[in-house]
Amino acid sequence: MTDSTIEIRRLTKAYQRGGETLRVLDELDLHMDAGTFYALMGPSGSGKTTLLNLIGGLDVADTGDVIIGGENLSNYSGSQLARWRAENVGFVFQGFNLLPVLSARENVELPLMLSPLKKRERRAQAERALELVGLTDRMDHKPRELSGGQEQRVAIARAIATDPTLILADEPTGDLDRTTANQVLQLLQRLNRELKKTILMVTHDPEAAGYADKVIHLDKGKLGRIEDNRKLAGKA
Amino acid sequence: MPFHLLFRNVTGHWLRSLLTILSVAVAVFLICVLNAVVSGLTRTVSAAASNRLLVQSAVSLYVDLPMAYQQKLAAVPGVEAICKWQWFGGRYEQDKGGFFAQFGIDAEPFRTSYPEITIAEGSYEEFAKNRTACIVGRDTATKYGWKVGQTVPILGTIFQRTDGQPWQFTIAGIYVSDTPTIDQQTMYFRFDYLRESLEQGGAQGPEGVGLYMLRVAPGADPVAVQSAADALFENGPQRVQTTTEAEFNRQFVTMLGDVPTLMQMVGSAVLFAIFFAVLNTMIMAGRERTKDIGILKALGFSDAVTAGLLIGESLLLCALGAVVGIGLGVALEPAFQASVSAMMPGFAFDRSTLLLGAGLALGIGLVSGIVPGLRAARLTTVAALREVG
Repeated sequence: MTDSTIEIRRLTKAYQRGGETLRVLDELDLHMDAGTFYALMGPSGSGKTTLLNLIGGLDVADTGDVIIGGENLSNYSGSQLARWRAENVGFVFQGFNLLPVLSARENVELPLMLSPLKKRERRAQAERALELVGLTDRMDHKPRELSGGQEQRVAIARAIATDPTLILADEPTGDLDRTTANQVLQLLQRLNRELKKTILMVTHDPEAAGYADKVIHLDKGKLGRIEDNRKLAGKA
Repeated sequence: MPFHLLFRNVTGHWLRSLLTILSVAVAVFLICVLNAVVSGLTRTVSAAASNRLLVQSAVSLYVDLPMAYQQKLAAVPGVEAICKWQWFGGRYEQDKGGFFAQFGIDAEPFRTSYPEITIAEGSYEEFAKNRTACIVGRDTATKYGWKVGQTVPILGTIFQRTDGQPWQFTIAGIYVSDTPTIDQQTMYFRFDYLRESLEQGGAQGPEGVGLYMLRVAPGADPVAVQSAADALFENGPQRVQTTTEAEFNRQFVTMLGDVPTLMQMVGSAVLFAIFFAVLNTMIMAGRERTKDIGILKALGFSDAVTAGLLIGESLLLCALGAVVGIGLGVALEPAFQASVSAMMPGFAFDRSTLLLGAGLALGIGLVSGIVPGLRAARLTTVAALREVG
């Protein structure tokens, strides 16, 4: 998939909680351009993470369509979604989600095992990704031997190792101090600007959202306003 | 399949893995031992000669038969030779805690009736000529460092010498055996030496004969000989029971109860215990890795791969346990054989026993891995990632 334009059409997702139906996304329509860095904001329970999961093919909508690069994910089976994720999406999570028994290099190499690359090529690509995030000297360290910021950078390296067009980040700076958070956000911004990755980042932090090109606000499962940081910056 | 992740998961929790491997190893070892006991008993029974019948008291093996029965039994049509067997129950003076069997036998019919015995050192002729001579199995001779020509003092427990001294037997030969029916630990001495000592007042103990062995002539019907021998003493003075050697061995083995069934029950209990232990370990491992499973699924790994990692881990632990358990069994086989060969000359960790141990271990590994494996496969990515830890 070379084009990562995202089209959301009448997307609905509900959960059963204590006998009640909780409508997290309510017939949501949204368009996101390829190559743009989006921040997704909203109060708790507004459906941010649910939307991220549906766009990333981690979850399936009740009704509606998620169309990415012309491919309608709603028609995919579980195994087709898994294959699509492996080829097209990189994930960055709040809690880093690295496998603790593997080194930084092995964690980054993991998604490459699903590609046709040979072992030596996988290793070289993992090292390139770690170099890009500035962790050349920590490749053989286990996650517990790294700081929070370093762990998140390994997670970002893992997300870009397969060269996906779309990066989905769920509160990537939620567990980090301000300085480290800024470094991680600058890195995501670089990936967007230099490598033209489409990035969708869920955040509660307005400062983090400031690094994005556009900020999408969700409220009670519906689309709120969309701010264009580039225009705001231009006005300023 | 990310095999390196499978190995790292095993080594990452090395203590738990080690304990699981050791418990599987102990179970495999025990199952091998129990199966070797059952196979040994079966082999001992099935290797019995078809032309040998054994006559014992119908009351019990512990009741002696009169000496006078020999002539009558020898005259039964179809009987080619007859040999007395008398349990001596002595102890080697230098090793009173040790055990090996001693029997008083008739030298000539014994030689012709038990062709499986071969004299490896010394001579059977010397044994047949010398009243106080004996032949000893190689295992016992090796254990005590006995040589041909050496006189060994044996303290009688059933038959005691009146002077309070031990019996002196001169080793005329050291024998080996090529069938499980005859072990290599027993000492055979001449029955007439025992008999004369009792008659001349040099020793005291029960008179009579423990068993008569009847060798059936070629072409004769063993069943007819058996019936005729039993019929001879139908009206006393002491009734006898004549059995084939195989049946006698089987009865001897089951004197303590149904040993094979008991062994199988113990083996099954061990198997179940270890199955639940491994299952518990794998369920714990599966639960601990819920988040890892979510990460793998998010990265695009299939349900089959995430399930395969847990099944593979379980199989690996059990396979390593099987290797250790089987290795332990093979290493300890000579020691086991030395200690049980008197009761069970057929005891051995043969290939089928080792394959059984390995097969059961892998079976446990597979079933124990399937339970958490199925859970991993069924978990949705979102639910797995939501797991805290």
